[in-house]
Amino acid sequence: MTGVRKPRPNRWQRAFSTQNRGRSLFVASALTPLMLYMLFWTLLPVAWAISLAFFDYSPARIGAPPLGFGGDNPFVGLANFQNMFGDLKEAQQFRTGLKNTLIFATLVLPLNLAITIPLAVAIEAIHVRVKTLFRFVYFLPTVTASVGVALIWGYLYHPQQGLINMVIRAVGGSGRIWLTDPRAGFLGVPLALWSIIGTYLWWDMGYNLIIFIAALQSIPREFREAAQVDGANTWQLFWNVTIPLLRPTLLFVCVLTMISAFQTFDIIQIMTAGGPQDQTRVMVLDIYLNAFRYQRMGWAGAVSLVLFAMILIVTFVQSRLLRTKWEY
Amino acid sequence: MNRKKFWILAAALTILTLLTAQCTPSPQAPVAQPAAQEAAPGEEQIELRMWTHQNSSFIAANEIIIERFEKEHPNVNITIESFPYDVFIQTLQTSMPAGTEADIIEMFGSWVCRYADRLAEVPDFVMTYSEAAELFFKAPLDGYYCDGKLYGLPNEFNIENGAVMINKALFEEAGLPYPPAWKNTQDLLANAQKLVKTDGDMMSVAGYHFISGDGLTFQLLAGILQRGGEYWKPDGSGLVFTTPEAKATLEDMKSWVTEYKVTDPFLFNRDSNWVGNSFFVNQAGIGFIGPWIVPEARRQFPEIEFDYVPLPNYAGEKHLFAADAGWGKVVSANSKHQEMAQEYVKFATANQENALTWNVATGTIPALKSVAADPKILEEAPWFEASLKVLDDGRYVGPLPDRDLFWNEIVYPHMLAVFQESETVDEALQAIETESNAMFKP
Amino acid sequence: MATAVPAEHSLPPARKRSPRRGRGWLRRAALYAFLLAGCLVTLLPFVWMILGSFKTSQEIISIPPSFWPETPTLQNYRTILTDPKLPLLRFYFNSLFVSISVVTLVLFTSSLAGFIFAKYEFFGKNLIFGLILVTLMIPFQVLMIPSYLILVRLGLIDSLWGLVVPGATSAFGIFMMKQFIQGLPSELLDAARIDGAGEWGIYWRIILPQVGPALATLGILTFMGTWNSYLWPLIVITSPEKRTLPIVLTWFNSMHGTRYDLTMTASVLVVVPILIVYTIFQRWIVQGFTLSGLK
Repeated sequence: MTGVRKPRPNRWQRAFSTQNRGRSLFVASALTPLMLYMLFWTLLPVAWAISLAFFDYSPARIGAPPLGFGGDNPFVGLANFQNMFGDLKEAQQFRTGLKNTLIFATLVLPLNLAITIPLAVAIEAIHVRVKTLFRFVYFLPTVTASVGVALIWGYLYHPQQGLINMVIRAVGGSGRIWLTDPRAGFLGVPLALWSIIGTYLWWDMGYNLIIFIAALQSIPREFREAAQVDGANTWQLFWNVTIPLLRPTLLFVCVLTMISAFQTFDIIQIMTAGGPQDQTRVMVLDIYLNAFRYQRMGWAGAVSLVLFAMILIVTFVQSRLLRTKWEY
Repeated sequence: MNRKKFWILAAALTILTLLTAQCTPSPQAPVAQPAAQEAAPGEEQIELRMWTHQNSSFIAANEIIIERFEKEHPNVNITIESFPYDVFIQTLQTSMPAGTEADIIEMFGSWVCRYADRLAEVPDFVMTYSEAAELFFKAPLDGYYCDGKLYGLPNEFNIENGAVMINKALFEEAGLPYPPAWKNTQDLLANAQKLVKTDGDMMSVAGYHFISGDGLTFQLLAGILQRGGEYWKPDGSGLVFTTPEAKATLEDMKSWVTEYKVTDPFLFNRDSNWVGNSFFVNQAGIGFIGPWIVPEARRQFPEIEFDYVPLPNYAGEKHLFAADAGWGKVVSANSKHQEMAQEYVKFATANQENALTWNVATGTIPALKSVAADPKILEEAPWFEASLKVLDDGRYVGPLPDRDLFWNEIVYPHMLAVFQESETVDEALQAIETESNAMFKP
Repeated sequence: MATAVPAEHSLPPARKRSPRRGRGWLRRAALYAFLLAGCLVTLLPFVWMILGSFKTSQEIISIPPSFWPETPTLQNYRTILTDPKLPLLRFYFNSLFVSISVVTLVLFTSSLAGFIFAKYEFFGKNLIFGLILVTLMIPFQVLMIPSYLILVRLGLIDSLWGLVVPGATSAFGIFMMKQFIQGLPSELLDAARIDGAGEWGIYWRIILPQVGPALATLGILTFMGTWNSYLWPLIVITSPEKRTLPIVLTWFNSMHGTRYDLTMTASVLVVVPILIVYTIFQRWIVQGFTLSGLK
């Protein structure tokens, strides 16, 4: 359209027009309290946690007002972080926790994918009516409270009265001590940790399964049909078409699964309490015990910051690795 | 549109209902409370809260004492709340800074000094330390004495040493004399070996279940003391475990597992088939645990027949041992009714009749000397006999900075590792020494 | 990246019959076998739990253990339901109160904030939204200690409100609502403004009715998450009568270590209600997880 253009109001003029003032007021009055509230409960605690890490703090001791720092809760500078490399018992437990957390998450991720992706593909491939039923069943564990899961599986794993050993013995094998035997292991990983992984996979698989099913549903049929026309069999179809098209979802799932694995607390605390011999002591358990049982909140704060850093790093690395610009 | 409104309305109504539900008195009645008595004219009605850990005998015992107290003080009403043991520790720590803890707390003596900041001193007019020392055994009392100040009074002489439980049915099944007359540890072990049962590949009944959690530390310290050793440094600034006596004790205990094979350290320990449960379902012939388990066990497992018999000395003539300061009463510094709370503490611990009732009901050995000497206590709790005999040989374990840490995270794991053969005796003792000394701040 | 989410109930185009019918049959059978086996593994623990709740205390400790209860009994249920120290109704109320309060607050704050981020421009908008997303990555363990210390100073320890207040806003909720509201046509708002509606009016009368499904989903998800929450109530609640259900279960387990018959019964009482809620609302729950996945 040719002709004279009406002069556009500049940004300031726009902002202060009557109409926009109403809107700005709305945004300000609604958003500000909300954002402040969120800040108060997320960013303020992070700042507080960072400060805690520089003190030797116990809630049972009375420090100097107003926040309890100082006094009986002395400032120790970088001591908490330095001690992480040292020989104190809690430092050893910290390193054990770090190792166990990494092992746990690293094992959980591929195993979870190996279970959920084939299941999703299988469910996608069958008749729609039965699909809902299967999906319903597979999602049941995920909605069960963690305490319930831990108690049921603790009982399942019981060496003398549990179902798992019962089944093993019924087929002629010899029962194992799943949760309290520090000698047992497989591929260098303690049996107790494998047992926890087993429980966790059972509990958590529903989540990723649902996401993959939805992702598969949104892949246009044309891709699959095109590949089939080109002569691809089921296996090739799976690897060369389905998986690559799932990449965006895969990124999301991988990041989320690892972050969740890093933060698994409930089932471990209830089933093994970190044992045997700290073989299942993960960082979150270490933090909890130090903060709320052994009165070492400053130390626990420092460890929690290390956990935070780990999560950020893992998220960043995975985003880089799995980034894709595929669109369809 | 309608649906949206409906949901919002429903939510609002539900919240409103629940809010009002919160205001109505809760349907629970954990305490058999006598009808709140009328306060005498001129006196104010005082409400006190008391915390204890979840053990039905303890709760029942405290309720009896509370009833007696309320009769003498009609204007006072005391409510009990109880917590599972592991939760109790955490609850104390999270509630004290917030000021939500109870007025009176039944606390474990060895913890008291860690919470001293938040507790109220026992005023002199209630009792001074020297007065208390006359009335109570030193071992339990000293746990409540921190930095020259007294913070509470004990009810229990916590003792696990000196006696063990034996299961009548299992003994008779194995054809062993009941009660046994062991002259030394070898005799005990010989009996224990005959009590072991296996089911296929796993031990189903332990002969001598001594890996009981708390018990391991008690046995270690007793072994050291009886062999003439000492675990405190001479200047009291730390602990020492790399002594010949400690080594001899731990090696002896290890042989019970590896040579005598009286128990399986993987199946029978603190976290797996804990003796407090497994003994009473016939999974252990001999069990190492204190007499405080008895009333609770009698309640849950009434069919089991068992007894306490004296444990032979590990070495030497006297059954020396180190004891925790057991359960007792302390008052919170945040309490709004200090005087009345302290009154209760004295009433519950230093009064002969009350202390005796409490000890019998809970199955704990008395901390009050006069009660221990009272013939009535053996009438009511004959299984105390073996433990009462050794009371004079006991001493307070000492002012550990963190008893819980020492017992649970330092000594128990390393001793268990020795029995499970993932650490040598020397390694374990060295580690115990290093880690416990790290508790002492310079 | 797919932005439009296929509603999970939209039927895919009718399947064409595969010309090689015989081969398709075998493949289908294998799939079903695979899925059924998986179902068995998934359901077995629940079955075990339920069976355990009907066993007597003697059966629970018998060696060798039995699968089916030989003398099925309701005694365990009776014991727990009539125990005066376990006012189950009170505990259900506690959990319900906390969950519903949190859900109401989260729905309100998320929809409002989501609306603003979706349909308004203002200074620093992207920065603030980015900050909100970052908070999603902060692990709970970092927040838990200082949040507890904050609650101490606010006097909310040992109060059910202490369980509600920190969770009143949800970064996930804001994100989800923003995504959803973005899809709504802006003409609606412009039309309303021309008619003289104020911004709040637009929120109440235009936006909210339109986002019903998303609200329902977010509500159900939040409800489940709050109901099942364990660690935070464990730290905050100290009075026995204010416990929420997961905590009740934990305490119960601490008291009755080897009495699996009792702990399984208690587990049934705690777990089954949520399973029922799930069965009724499964469509929205699944939708919610799906929506969060495909952004």
